Amino acid sequence: MKITYNIHLIWVVMMLLTLCSYFVGEVGSGGVVSVMILLLAAAIKAVLIIRDFMELRGVSFLWRAIMYGWLSVVCLSIGIAYLVSL
Amino acid sequence: MELLVFGIFFIVYAVMRSQNIELFNEYQLTLNRELGMANTLLLISSSYFVVRAVHAIRGDDVNRCVYWLYAGLAGGTGFLILKAVEYSDKFSAGIGLGTNTFYMFYLSLTMFHFLHVVLGMLILLAVVIKAKRGAYSADNHTGVETGASYWHMVDLVWIILFPLVYIIR
Repeated sequence: MKITYNIHLIWVVMMLLTLCSYFVGEVGSGGVVSVMILLLAAAIKAVLIIRDFMELRGVSFLWRAIMYGWLSVVCLSIGIAYLVSL
Repeated sequence: MELLVFGIFFIVYAVMRSQNIELFNEYQLTLNRELGMANTLLLISSSYFVVRAVHAIRGDDVNRCVYWLYAGLAGGTGFLILKAVEYSDKFSAGIGLGTNTFYMFYLSLTMFHFLHVVLGMLILLAVVIKAKRGAYSADNHTGVETGASYWHMVDLVWIILFPLVYIIR
């Protein structure tokens, strides 16, 4: 029951984060703050998918390292590429 | 492997954008953010439905598992329809891969992802057919979990792709 409840909550959180990202885009300001907010929102959603939907919470360190490593490299690279061009 | 390719694609997009900021910012505004957001909500919901299918089969409830898998497939179908509407708008405006660097990335990235959505749906459909034939149970449901993981990977890629291509500027 606890797991089902958590999954409901995670779904709602991801939907809300998506709406937040959309509204940040609608404001259309750009800049450091909005880049950071959008990347953070995407990273949180990605972590929730990896951890709770794919259920990588309890699997081997190697799988978690691959998934979280991929996410970290992608988000950091995008962040650096955007921030240096501001 | 797919994640590696998408990861490289994302980083190359960000680097190319940093060298063509005005072009990318100008043409990003021509994208339909509402459809992008709707597609994100559809894929996240679809992933959630597939999680419910995995939980159902762990509880030995094959009917509920099939029901949630159909819901997941419906989400995927909605995604493909909205994406087809988006492509139709762009193609009818004469936009193609050769229009400019931004559209080359937008079309190739989203179409590559589109193909993965189609493949993910075919995998889910295969899981539905096997589930209906009684192939899965609480003790034997690795196939459902494997299909679900692929579908979550497709969702994961879109979650990065949506803000990167449609919003961040």
